[in-house]
Amino acid sequence: MLLEVTELTKAFRDTMAVDHISCTLGNGVYGLLGVNGAGKTTFMRMLCTLLLPDSGAIRWEGSDIFSMGGAYRKLLGYLPQDFGYYPDFTIQDYLLYIASIKGLRPAYAKKHAEQLLQQVGLWDIRKQKMKKLSGGMKRRAGIAQAMLNDPQILILDEPTAGLDPRERIRFRNLISEIADKRLVLLSTHIVSDIEYIAGEILLMKDGKLTLTGTTQELTASMPEQVWRCTVQREQLDHYLQHYQVSNIRNTADGVELRILSASCPMAEAVPEPATLEDVFLYHFGEKAGADHDIL
Amino acid sequence: MIFYEIKKTVSRTGGRIALGLLLFTLAVSCFLAVRVYYVNEEGAREYGYSAVQKLRAAQKEWAGALDEERLQAAFQENIRIRHSPEALSEDITENNIAFSRLQGIFEIRSLINESYAEGFRSYDYYLADRLTSVNAADFYQNRVRLLREWLETDAKDQFTEAEKAWLIRRYEELDTPFFYDYVKGWRRAMEYFPTLVMLAVMILGYLVAGIFSCEYQSKAEAVFFASAYGRSRAVSAKVKAGLLTVTGIYWALAGCYSAFVLAFLGADGASCPVQADLGGWKCFYHLTMGQAYVLVLLGGYLGCLFLSGLTMLVSAKTRSSVAAVMVPFGAVFLPSFLSFIQHPLMNHILVLLPNRLLDMGTTLGYFYLYPVGGQLHGAVPLLLILYTALSLVLYPMQYVEYRRLSKK
Repeated sequence: MLLEVTELTKAFRDTMAVDHISCTLGNGVYGLLGVNGAGKTTFMRMLCTLLLPDSGAIRWEGSDIFSMGGAYRKLLGYLPQDFGYYPDFTIQDYLLYIASIKGLRPAYAKKHAEQLLQQVGLWDIRKQKMKKLSGGMKRRAGIAQAMLNDPQILILDEPTAGLDPRERIRFRNLISEIADKRLVLLSTHIVSDIEYIAGEILLMKDGKLTLTGTTQELTASMPEQVWRCTVQREQLDHYLQHYQVSNIRNTADGVELRILSASCPMAEAVPEPATLEDVFLYHFGEKAGADHDIL
Repeated sequence: MIFYEIKKTVSRTGGRIALGLLLFTLAVSCFLAVRVYYVNEEGAREYGYSAVQKLRAAQKEWAGALDEERLQAAFQENIRIRHSPEALSEDITENNIAFSRLQGIFEIRSLINESYAEGFRSYDYYLADRLTSVNAADFYQNRVRLLREWLETDAKDQFTEAEKAWLIRRYEELDTPFFYDYVKGWRRAMEYFPTLVMLAVMILGYLVAGIFSCEYQSKAEAVFFASAYGRSRAVSAKVKAGLLTVTGIYWALAGCYSAFVLAFLGADGASCPVQADLGGWKCFYHLTMGQAYVLVLLGGYLGCLFLSGLTMLVSAKTRSSVAAVMVPFGAVFLPSFLSFIQHPLMNHILVLLPNRLLDMGTTLGYFYLYPVGGQLHGAVPLLLILYTALSLVLYPMQYVEYRRLSKK
């Protein structure tokens, strides 16, 4: 069960959204990590056959997915970043409609929709209209629709966007539950989501896959060391200007900094094990701070 | 799939309001269509079902072949009533009492006004009252004579010689004497149906305008197109849902309207030719009142089907309900503006526009001829053939167009 991506390229006018991406994805959870505009959504939309690549190929079990057409989409579950729904449908109606366009038999669809509604915690409000749901509930309904056909390939684009911490934990547990025996690719710019559940991480920057591997491999590949040190408040600007700082915490003694640096920034600095957040900051630098909810 | 597509259309608040408006219009149309009065022996107007029954009974007395004998009798009855003291009185109530006796022959009297008119295009309401005698044998021949005179004078440049000969032949081919009967039910049903169907086409347009564009408007297109049947059966379900919505709503509306109006006013006279009714005297199509009404219903359906199909195509192509919903509005109102351009070719084109399907009763009265396949035809058969063919093309086009959007 392999999804092979070869030299995949897509440009929008002068912008190269996806730039010669190649990778092979099997069963397991893959985290696609990158800042906004890195090309994650374009890449995922091509995997869902919603966009045609300018060049390159995507093959499932050796067959071109665009030639497979409906047969490929039968294996696919997709939750788009900008998840749309039919506002006047109840959650149950929505799922049954999606089940019908996924080609599920009505009796099976009804039963499976019930199971999923219970799994995502929407069973009690299944008769509620979609337009009356909170952002988190809509997202859960979105995950349920993606799971309806028990997909071999599950693509989730920013599935935790807009979810509160409790819902994010619930979502992570849900993904872990369903990840068995299927390929799950989820994109996010929230590092902690991926750190917990992804077996392999794909780091995407400017349309390219810059790094792939497990959390351990990625952290090990980072040439810079992570340091923890406490500085006086008036020194903070100096450190921010001269070092990549992945965390700032106010303490009674001053300001505790987490610094990425090849050399020791100060005598009192203590080396720390690197995390995925540090890797992210290292690779994306200034851009990583562009979104408030990155880390 | 089709069920949910229809549900998407009608579950919207706007969709429900539109359906409510349609029901309200149906109720108003039914009410207006059956609002027939009967003037009783005291000269007072009566309304309601009993009034209809009295009027029907009065006119039924004159039902039968409209031959010389019946025409002469009706003419003499009109003279007798018009010269009665009640008719000559200056008191309006007395006049109304005289009118109450006239109701049985009122329609035949109107046909006499048509037949013995001075010209083809003239109509004098009081002509039958002024005539001292009529040669009933001329009644049907006058129809042909007046046409012939009109074609040789006022309309001599409007038609070619072949067209003139064709029209005269059509007039001569009418079976006479024709059967006369009470036809109020059919006439009133035909009169008020176009208003209902014009509103229906706009509401249907509004309902189907979102069938394709709703996926984009609600940003649900990614899930839709990424589904197994999102580019095949689901698109086809949208097309079918549109067809079913238009067909279901139209025929429910037309059925309720026709059943109510004809049940209330009576369906008598279905086999009378349209020429037996005042509005159809000049018509060159040989149809009975029943056939003409079926044509009105079919024309309305075809008009709704075509315009809704066009609306859906625009919706599929532009992904915008707003642009799509303009189609039926444009189709209904644009010809009114174009009619200001006075040109024979423009008039011929205007009669072939889809809005004419919505008012087939009026279209039956148009004198526009079209040479097709070496033969002359009126606008009605051409409209039916043209828009059936176009509708057959439109719906598959929606499928192709929407599928095309799925890949960028």
